[in-house]
Amino acid sequence: MASFYEGPVQRLIDEFGRLPGIGPKSAQRIAYYLLKAAPEDARRLAASIVEVKEKISWCRRCFNIAEGEECAICRDTRRDSTVLCVVEEPRDIVAIERTQEFRGRYHVLQGTISPIEGVGPDQLRIKDLLHRIPEEGVEEVILATNPNTDGEVTAMYLAKVLTPLGLRVTRIASGLPVGGDLEYADEVTLGRALEGRRVVDG
Amino acid sequence: MRLSRLWLQDFRCYEAADVEFDEGCTVVTGANGQGKTSLLEAVAWVATGRSFRGVPDAALVAAGHDEAIVRAEVVDGERTMLVEAALRSVGRNRVLLNKQPVSRRRDYADHLRVTVFSPDDLAVVKGGPARRRDYLDELLEASGTKYVSVRTDFERVLRQRNALLRGGVRDAEARTTLDVLDDRLVTSGGELVRGRLRLVEELTPGIAEAYESLAGETPGMSMRYEAEWCEGVLEPTRLDDVDGLLRGALEALRRRETDRGITLVGPHRDDWRLVLNGLDARSHASQGEQRTLALALRLAGHRLIASIVGSDPVLLLDDVFSELDPARSAALVAHLPAAQTLLTTAGVVPPGIEAERHLTVHAGQVVSGPQAEQ
Ligand SMILES: [Zn+2]
Repeated sequence: MASFYEGPVQRLIDEFGRLPGIGPKSAQRIAYYLLKAAPEDARRLAASIVEVKEKISWCRRCFNIAEGEECAICRDTRRDSTVLCVVEEPRDIVAIERTQEFRGRYHVLQGTISPIEGVGPDQLRIKDLLHRIPEEGVEEVILATNPNTDGEVTAMYLAKVLTPLGLRVTRIASGLPVGGDLEYADEVTLGRALEGRRVVDG
Repeated sequence: MRLSRLWLQDFRCYEAADVEFDEGCTVVTGANGQGKTSLLEAVAWVATGRSFRGVPDAALVAAGHDEAIVRAEVVDGERTMLVEAALRSVGRNRVLLNKQPVSRRRDYADHLRVTVFSPDDLAVVKGGPARRRDYLDELLEASGTKYVSVRTDFERVLRQRNALLRGGVRDAEARTTLDVLDDRLVTSGGELVRGRLRLVEELTPGIAEAYESLAGETPGMSMRYEAEWCEGVLEPTRLDDVDGLLRGALEALRRRETDRGITLVGPHRDDWRLVLNGLDARSHASQGEQRTLALALRLAGHRLIASIVGSDPVLLLDDVFSELDPARSAALVAHLPAAQTLLTTAGVVPPGIEAERHLTVHAGQVVSGPQAEQ
C-alpha cells in the first residue's frame, strides 16, 4: 500500500503491519484508534511493550517465559523433575497447566522442525533438552507437540534421538483431534490425552 | 442437505450480498464479468475450503480489504447450520460453525458438499496429470473427512521434504529429519494412494454408464493408475503392497532425490489414464468424446458421493451449456441428478431446465428475477 500519511502516522501503520496476522487495513484501523485514544491510554500501551521487553526473558532452564532467570515452574521445588513435558511454545504450558493433571516440569522447543522456514533441529532448543536429561535425572519425556504435521514430525524426530538414551519416551495422543492445536483442546480432552499417553519407539 | 442462504462481504466483486436459495433449481443470469461465477465460487469454498478456479484465498478478498466474509446457511433435515468464514489476505482464515470457532477444515467439511461443472472440466481429460489427481482427491475428501486430513498432511510433508532436500542433506540432524519425513510420506502418501485406487475401481463402471447415457453408445472404457515409483501401472489388487513399494522406492531413489533436491517418490507424481476404446483419451479421443467424458466424470463422481454419504451434493453448473452442442446439452439436462442446483448462464437457459428461482447479477449486485430484456 502506498504511503498517504504524515511520517509518524505512516511509521505506526507500518509497525502494526509487521505484526503477525495484521493486514494493511487492520494496521490502519488500529493506528486511527490510537490517534483518537486518550494520551494516557496510548502511553500505557507503549509502557507495557517496553516493560515486557525489559523485564521478561526466556527461562534459562526450560525456555518458558520468565521474569528473572528462571520461570515460576522451574523455581517450584515441589514439581517432579523426573518427568519432562516437551512443548512447542510457552502458550502450550498454559494449556497443560489448566488441566491440573501434570506435576512434572517442562521444556519449550520454541518452534517445530520446518525446513520451509529454514528451521532444523539445531534452531530449536533440542541440544538444551539433551543436556537437561542427565543433569536433572529425567526418566520420562512426554512429547506434547501439537498433533498436526509439523508437531508430529518434531515428536518423531525427538523419539529417534531420545529413545537410544534408555528413557521412557511417550506421546500424548488419545482423543486429541488430528491436525489441531493443543491451544484449542479443552481441559478434559487434553487431560485425558496426557493420562493416556503411549510409549513411542524411535 | 441444501444451501438455503448465502451472505457475502468483500468477496471478489461483491461488496455485500444476501441471497436465498430454493430446494430446486436457481438460475443466475448476467453478462460475463459481473460476478456469476464468483457466487458459485463462494458456495464451493464453504464446501471444500478452496476456490474451484484454483486461486489462493487471498485472491478472493476484494482489493483494498483485509478479509472477505462468506456466511452460508445449510439445512440438513431438521438441522440448520451456519458456516461463517473470514478469508484473510494476510494470516490464517477464521471459520465458525454455529458460532463456534473451528481450527481445522475437517471440522466443517461434511456440512455442505458440491459437484462443480465448469467449462474448465475439459482439462481433467485433456490436461496434465495434476488435474486428474485433483479430481480424484476432491472426490476422496467429499467421500470422507478423513481424507481431508490425509491430503493436508501429505501436502505439508511434501513441501517440508522438498525444502529439506533443496537445502541439502549434509549432517546427521538433516538425515534424521529426512528419515522422519520419509516415514510420514509413507503413512499419509500410502493412505492417499490406497484411497485413490479404491476410488478408481468404484468409479469406473459409473463413468462408463454416464458416458453411455450422454453419448448413446457403449464405450470400451478402462482406467489405469500409473505410478512411476512402482515402475508402471499399480493394480487395485495391490492395496496391501503400497506402503512397502513406497518405502522401497524411497530407499532406492534417496541418492537421486538428494542430488536433484526434489521428492521423486509419492502420489504427487502419479497419473490416472482414461482409456477409451483402447486408446488414451487425453491424446487420442476426439474433442467431442473428450467433452462427453469430462461430463461423465462429473456425473459419475456426483452419483458415487451421493451413494456413499446418502444425500446429493449441491450441483453448481457454471456456464456449462455454452460450450456444448444442442445434442450434448439436451443429454446432460436429461441426466442431471435431482439435486439442488445453482446454474449460471450468460445467455439462454437450455430447454428442460425448470427454474424455481431466477437471479440476475450485475456489477456485484444480486437481484431477484430474470434478466431484463435488452
Ligand atoms: Zn523454566
